[in-house]
Amino acid sequence: MLTAVKGKGRHTSRTMSMRNQLRVCLLSIQYNIMREMINKVTFLTNICFMILNNASFLVQWVILFQLKDEIGGYTLKEIMLLWGLCASSYGLSHILFARVFSLPELIINGKLDAYLVLPKNVLLGVMTSSTNTSAIGDLAYGLIVASLSGFQVKRMLLFLLFTVTGAVMITAFALLLGSLSFWLVRMELFGDQMVNVVISFATYPDGIFKGAVKTLLYFMIPTGMMVYQPVHVMTDFDLKGLLVVIGYAGALSVAAVTVFYRGLRRYSSGNLMGARV
Amino acid sequence: MKVIEVENLSKIFRVKRKEKGMRGSIKAIFKPKMKEIKAVDGVSFTVEEGEMLAFIGPNGAGKSTTIKMLTGILYPDGGNVKVLGIDPTKRRKQLAYEIGTVFGQKEQLWTHLTPYDNFRFFGAIYDIADGEIEKRIEELSDTFVLSDFINTPVRNLSLGQRIRCEIAASLIHKPKVLFLDEPTIGLDPVVKENIRSLIQQMNREFHTTIFLTSHDTGDIEKLCKRVIIVNSGQIVLDDSMAHLKFSDASLEDIIMEIYRSR
Amino acid sequence: MILNKLGIQRSLKDNQLAENSWVEPIGYNLRKGRSVFMRKYVVIYRSVLMENLQYIGNIALGFVSYFIFIFVFINLWDYLYAEPGMRIAGYTKEQMIWYVMITEMIWFGSRSEAVVGQVTADIRGGNIAYLMNKPYHYTLYILARHTGEWCIRIPMYALFAAAIGLTMVGEIEGFGLLALLPSAISIVLGITINGIFKLCISLVSFWIEDVHPFQWMYDKLILIVGTVFPIEIFPAAMRPFMKLTPIYTVCYGPAKLVVDFHMEQYPEILSAQLLYLGVGTSLMFFLYGKGVKKLYVNGG
Repeated sequence: MLTAVKGKGRHTSRTMSMRNQLRVCLLSIQYNIMREMINKVTFLTNICFMILNNASFLVQWVILFQLKDEIGGYTLKEIMLLWGLCASSYGLSHILFARVFSLPELIINGKLDAYLVLPKNVLLGVMTSSTNTSAIGDLAYGLIVASLSGFQVKRMLLFLLFTVTGAVMITAFALLLGSLSFWLVRMELFGDQMVNVVISFATYPDGIFKGAVKTLLYFMIPTGMMVYQPVHVMTDFDLKGLLVVIGYAGALSVAAVTVFYRGLRRYSSGNLMGARV
Repeated sequence: MKVIEVENLSKIFRVKRKEKGMRGSIKAIFKPKMKEIKAVDGVSFTVEEGEMLAFIGPNGAGKSTTIKMLTGILYPDGGNVKVLGIDPTKRRKQLAYEIGTVFGQKEQLWTHLTPYDNFRFFGAIYDIADGEIEKRIEELSDTFVLSDFINTPVRNLSLGQRIRCEIAASLIHKPKVLFLDEPTIGLDPVVKENIRSLIQQMNREFHTTIFLTSHDTGDIEKLCKRVIIVNSGQIVLDDSMAHLKFSDASLEDIIMEIYRSR
Repeated sequence: MILNKLGIQRSLKDNQLAENSWVEPIGYNLRKGRSVFMRKYVVIYRSVLMENLQYIGNIALGFVSYFIFIFVFINLWDYLYAEPGMRIAGYTKEQMIWYVMITEMIWFGSRSEAVVGQVTADIRGGNIAYLMNKPYHYTLYILARHTGEWCIRIPMYALFAAAIGLTMVGEIEGFGLLALLPSAISIVLGITINGIFKLCISLVSFWIEDVHPFQWMYDKLILIVGTVFPIEIFPAAMRPFMKLTPIYTVCYGPAKLVVDFHMEQYPEILSAQLLYLGVGTSLMFFLYGKGVKKLYVNGG
């Protein structure tokens, strides 16, 4: 009786196991969203309010553009593109990988155990274990605003691509900072703040920043490669710029994943809390 | 055949220590004093296939830390571990296909889904083919008498029903070793008894090796033929249940005596 | 998205506070007179203040968001004020930036768990049934806690704002230190009015399952329309309407007094605030009274 299932996982080929891994991730994400949908009214209000919330900031820009036709080289159209990209990247990453943003809490309270005893990738298991309903509103808002800013097929495809790279960057950035919790306690507020910083900058044109600050926006935090560079590429196509964005997303992910696995060796499974000093 | 081999296993936690008062707080920022706690300190034992072993000790003795090193959750700081001949730190995923875990206080099921959907999900995690998983769910449903609520969302189940589902879910891939960390915590006597006989049944029918930690002497007495007692990270007793119960005193009293004497 | 991140930042302390909130029923005897009557609220305020002192580190972390917000606006206004000496809507660049710093200081510094999270939880969770029989008035109790909260935060933010302002923005021309005193009164009034209004919205929980959308709409009104720009920047047609909203008394009034103090304007703003305070407090007592009555009739 015991023999039927045995050994299957061990002998599956690499592509098979990758397909299975993907299937588990997608199932997780699907179940997360189903869980949020149990209360349909809350689910829909959350989404709608987030769309309204984001839209209300356009008031601010309408007022500002009354003072001047362009701000930092941006007109209302580019601002919409910028806002749209920021919102959709943030939205996508919070729909798929919301757990990354609360990683420190999981690490400190030893909540990774459940993922460590399963025969699948730990990081992917953790990442896909929750979702954020209002993020659906963010993503929807991003797509709406981007279409409104002047619809072109090519630009829209680029927008979708940059939504993905942006989501990868913000997720990787949060993962990188969150993983520091393996070494340092009390990182959760700091990581949160840094993600805020990224987003705060991402909704203003880069043209208003000068010199050192601009450099920091590209190298210290991923804001530059997440939204500024993509907006430039969308308004004035440039293949090299596009490849740089993709490369940056890849490099940041590799760094984040490396740090996570390094830290995982130090994972204490909540035992530190219970240990008697 | 030896299923678990542990040799000189140890795990050290480093904990920051702060001196009293404001001065201590400031000092701690610049020059934190670390204190090392040996959670597990040179533990060695082996477990044979099909054995039912109780691994017990007072709170903070190092039970959970040991179980977590055996299942690949924690990295040991020293010593060797082999479970089914596999090193948990090096081939965690491969080991995961072969073992099952139930941590009494932690839930692995999705509460908004039915047990059936949950089993399907775990089936996907363990790469079990669709046809096969149906068969397996039916088996588990029979063994654990789940048919009445297999299509009710887990959040609407009673604690006892839920634990039954938790255990069933951890058996979906027919593990050779089952790690149970306080499986009966918070259950009423009837459900406890029910869970115990299920565990016994599994051991009899599938020859599953059972590694159990519990504070409940009932669990231990009913299920296990061998007991390992740990205290302060070290094994203080490794003996058969029959030997342990040499006198008329209750198991609870005997264990308490041993806890106190170390 | 952004507001969610900035606006909702809970910490452990609120749970702990909720547990400790049963302490000291001092001045139990109401007939002892006014001073004793008020004393219990002072004690509540003091204990919350002391609790919060432990979390100064966490509060200071909030400075990061505040700083970034202000930093972005410094850059934005730097860009928009192309030539020196230029005025937009009657404001110099320094005034414009200090304006945002003051309104944001009020916004960040008066964020309160007591008036929002706690009240909603007490009412929806049924805890209110026990609290309303305590020898204090529940709403005043909450306001005392609210005051204990902002009394730590606001001075910290004020110092931080002053530090940023003096190093990165510069002084406002013609600014008189003396004007700060009357302005401070207005700021305190603004914060209290804000707290009362948010408390009123929370009290609606007696009738409605989830009042968060209303809180949210109120916050939006204050944040988008009230904190970023002074009223003068909006089209003339909108201004009279805006003077009627809480914006005028919660953020515009106090901030305007700080950046551009006029003795003639002071009584106007102050009386508007007092009027709002009166209306808000009556509304608060009215809603609470109605809610409690409903509770007595229908049960918890």
